[in-house]
Amino acid sequence: MTETQVESSAVRRWLSDLAKGNRRWIQGSVAAGTLAGFATIIQMVFLARIVHLGVIENASASMLAPLFAGLVLAITLRAIAQGVQTHLAARCSEQVRRTARRQIHRYWRNSGPLALGQTSAGSLAREWIDHVDALHGYFARFLPQMTLSLIVPLIILLLVFYLDWLAGIFLLLSAPLIPLFMALVGMGAEKLNQQHFEVISRLSGQFLDKVRGLTTLQLFGQTESAAEVIQQRSDHYRRVTLKTLRIAFLSSAVLEFFASVAIAVIAIYIGFGLLGYITYGPSQDLTLFSGLLILLLAPEFFQPLRTLSQYYHDRAAALGAGAEILARLGDEQTASPAADHDVEESDNDLSFVTPAVDSGSIQLSDVSLAFRADHPVLSNIGLTVAKGDVIALTGPSGSGKSTLLHLLAGFLAPDSGDIKVFGKPAGTFAFGWLGQTGFLVHGTWADNLRLTSPNVSDVAIETALSNVGLGPLLESRDQGIHSKVSEDGQGLSGGQARRLSLARIFVADYDLILLDEPTAGLDSDTEIFVLEALRKLALAGKTLIFSTHHHALLALANRVLLVSGGEVRDV
Amino acid sequence: MFELKPWLKLIGARPTRLFIGALLMLAALLSGLGLLALSGWFITETALVGILLAASLPATVNLYVPGGGIRFFAVSRTVSRYLERLYNHDTVLRLLTDIRVALFRKLSSVGRGQRRELTGAQWLSRLTSDVDALDTLYLRLIAPAALAALVTLLVVVLASVLFNIRIAAGIGLILVAAFGIATLATYTRTVKISSRQSDQQESLRTAVVEHLEGFAELTAAGRTGKHGAWLMRQAHQSSSEQVKADSRIGWHQAGSNLLINLSAVFALWAGFGLFRSGEVSGPVLVLLPIVLLGLAEVYSMLPEAFGKLGATQASAARLNRDCRQADSVPAAGEVIALPVNTALLVKNLAVKYPDHAPLFTHFDLQIQAGERVGILGHSGSGKSSLGDVFAGLLTPSNGFCSSLPCAYLTQKTVLFEDTLRANLLLGDPEASDAQLWRVLELVDLADRFQTERDQLDTWLGSSGSRLSGGEARRVALARVLLSSEPLVILDEPFTGVDAATRERITPLIDAWLEGRTVISLAHGPDALPGTDRVLYLGV
Repeated sequence: MTETQVESSAVRRWLSDLAKGNRRWIQGSVAAGTLAGFATIIQMVFLARIVHLGVIENASASMLAPLFAGLVLAITLRAIAQGVQTHLAARCSEQVRRTARRQIHRYWRNSGPLALGQTSAGSLAREWIDHVDALHGYFARFLPQMTLSLIVPLIILLLVFYLDWLAGIFLLLSAPLIPLFMALVGMGAEKLNQQHFEVISRLSGQFLDKVRGLTTLQLFGQTESAAEVIQQRSDHYRRVTLKTLRIAFLSSAVLEFFASVAIAVIAIYIGFGLLGYITYGPSQDLTLFSGLLILLLAPEFFQPLRTLSQYYHDRAAALGAGAEILARLGDEQTASPAADHDVEESDNDLSFVTPAVDSGSIQLSDVSLAFRADHPVLSNIGLTVAKGDVIALTGPSGSGKSTLLHLLAGFLAPDSGDIKVFGKPAGTFAFGWLGQTGFLVHGTWADNLRLTSPNVSDVAIETALSNVGLGPLLESRDQGIHSKVSEDGQGLSGGQARRLSLARIFVADYDLILLDEPTAGLDSDTEIFVLEALRKLALAGKTLIFSTHHHALLALANRVLLVSGGEVRDV
Repeated sequence: MFELKPWLKLIGARPTRLFIGALLMLAALLSGLGLLALSGWFITETALVGILLAASLPATVNLYVPGGGIRFFAVSRTVSRYLERLYNHDTVLRLLTDIRVALFRKLSSVGRGQRRELTGAQWLSRLTSDVDALDTLYLRLIAPAALAALVTLLVVVLASVLFNIRIAAGIGLILVAAFGIATLATYTRTVKISSRQSDQQESLRTAVVEHLEGFAELTAAGRTGKHGAWLMRQAHQSSSEQVKADSRIGWHQAGSNLLINLSAVFALWAGFGLFRSGEVSGPVLVLLPIVLLGLAEVYSMLPEAFGKLGATQASAARLNRDCRQADSVPAAGEVIALPVNTALLVKNLAVKYPDHAPLFTHFDLQIQAGERVGILGHSGSGKSSLGDVFAGLLTPSNGFCSSLPCAYLTQKTVLFEDTLRANLLLGDPEASDAQLWRVLELVDLADRFQTERDQLDTWLGSSGSRLSGGEARRVALARVLLSSEPLVILDEPFTGVDAATRERITPLIDAWLEGRTVISLAHGPDALPGTDRVLYLGV
């Protein structure tokens, strides 16, 4: 579980909300399951009838033929219903997972890039992919089976009562036990699953811990003893787990025992009844047909319950995964409200919103921000930047340069004060952003540039890429901008990735471009290309704001601002 | 299939245990079949005798043998099922241990510095799920399939004894078809989807990570929704594939069920022929179809397991690949003998990561035994790479580096989820408790752990999470100090350690390392222990 503890009742509520949205599929799956149950009953009726007619009444083959045809029809129907049931169940889980993924993605967009950056992309991706997939078994198997394990036994019980009420009472005797079974199986299985999952995750945690520290173990020459430790720990956990399992398995053994004993008791009762040894009750009316039918139905009475107990681990897995997803979604209220423009499911395609021409400046009035109450990062900043200015932000590390950029981008909202960018709230229109790590996707160069500007021409893409000095690299590729960015598994260097990001800005024609340390960590070749590219952007009349310590970049700016001690002033 | 071979060999290393487990499963299955078959036989027998008795004709029936048999099967089914589950869970946990230990041994044979690509949280989580796919291979797939085949054979033999060979052959044919549908057909109809889905999942994961890493740029351009929708489509495609596989598994399950039921119908139809000619009695006629109906339970686990076999194979192939990477021997760099009294000799060294400007070229350094050398450089200047080269973790792209055996405190603090004692003993497995306390005193942690209830057995939690950053750093430092290697390399030894503590422990450490060669790497002079000379890296 992550930072926030999530109540298991909240998780259950979330799961049932997801189920509600996909009720149709679950109902369909239950209906098909019920149909399969009906077909099973009909199959048994035909079987018992055929045996009775054939053995007791010596019916001829031609008399039995239509019954055999009915039997084959019933089992075919049963198979079809079974197939349809699994198909619908799988579709249900597919829909549920789509909904859950949509929820998480909406949360990402509402949180904004800064809040998301707090968690590693790897674990966010794991939540979106693996945790959501862990919901599969619950919706595809457990949930439909829960309803089926009530419906099917009930139908069978009614039929057995009709055939012989005393045999029905034998089943009914175990019927009040069914909720008890459910609870027992539930508790037992839950405990068992908890135990099992805990042990498994602890063991894999220990294993991964050692793999993660393999270099350290090698440095100390201790890999062999670590392997022995893994062995001993696993053995120890195994012994501890088995002690619990001995108890936990008892609950399902009880279910198994009742099912077996009920069949045995019914068989012996019917046998004695047919012999006429029982002189009271309905047993005088027993025939081979009704007796055999009751016997054939008895295992089917318990089967849905046994199946349910097999699916209990699906529920445990879904509850575990759901808790982690909810722990993440739970912060939604505290998330930054700044990225409001992005909350709609479909983009309001910001690239086409041109900022109003008349409001040609960026204005910060009385802006304050503190991450901790006693430690203001920026206090009462007032600042006006003219359109077309090239602004360098400088100052000691941790002084708030990046924070100021985040405010201008709308990734952060100020505690107080007002920010207007070209007459609009920050972050309400498309602008260029260049972070410290370049960003690229698997695909062609053109794909990468069209990510942010879908409608640009091939020529514009080629120009943008050569503007950032990637021209020679492209010429070496067979298909130019339509070749994959990372060919033969060869990735881009950090500098090339940063230049690719810069090319995106070139091609998009933004009025405002924010750059966080655009040359940090670059080798000198790349640095020259970035400087040259920024100069071209400045000449094209773009408003550039960047944080930097680099002297060449400071020289490029027509205004240098020092961010220090919560203040911003001209140098 | 052969990607599974090394793992099957590993699983097969416990033949007795596997055999007993399978025997218990067989006992549970046969008890279940026996209970129903005997009950069916008994009811038919009593029905026939009952009719004779009702007609006041002489007839007897042995009530005690079948009655006892029914009671016996009822109990034996419960008991054997319980024992089987317990025993086989034990087996699975043992196999899990075997597989993990074997994998760990293989991975630890990796050449130093070759494992760079085998780190990262993504790889680790994939490793876990891949191992999990293998440890249930026996219980989910091998044992049920083998038992289903065996029980099928037994039933066919039973049919030939009770009915006749021709009917038994007919039943056998239908059952073989049912078995084929549940196993081979399910496998061939899902293997492509499974492995494709496994690949899709990998590329989807990459795409999601890319999306999150570029989230700021996408937000700025107002494109998170469009790109997110694209991701949704990818994810949806992957789950559609899963739906397809699941449906196919479901239909194969239904098909195999259908055939099993048909075999019962066939047995009944054919049996009536024998019954009318008096070759079999009524009770025996009923017994066989009921046994055949019971086979559904034996077959029910198979389609699911065979539908996942493709994914299991993909997991096995990935693990094999990881281990193969581990097997490759690193290119041996130039090795030359150290001159007398020299602890470290570096000549014409170049360090370069692919696609990056070289960190160093033509780097020379000679350190006398017993010298204390500090190396200073700002972050990004390549200090840690230099430390890695000295310690032999990183192979230089040019030149050579020879050193005495060394103890190396890496820049990253690595503590294990284990006791304090176990973490320290890595430095010197033979160390006594007194030695451990002494070295903890050196780093000013003795008092901290004297007050803990478990003292040296204090549990350090995942990655030492129960300690502060500075404390964890000092535990790692103590571990290196415990080692008696003649050369000690300390990379940023005092990260996260406050100034007062640093001043207190520096002289103690200097005295402790008396007579040994020490190379310390740090970003500033105040982060170094005592030094004889200091080198500055880069500009």
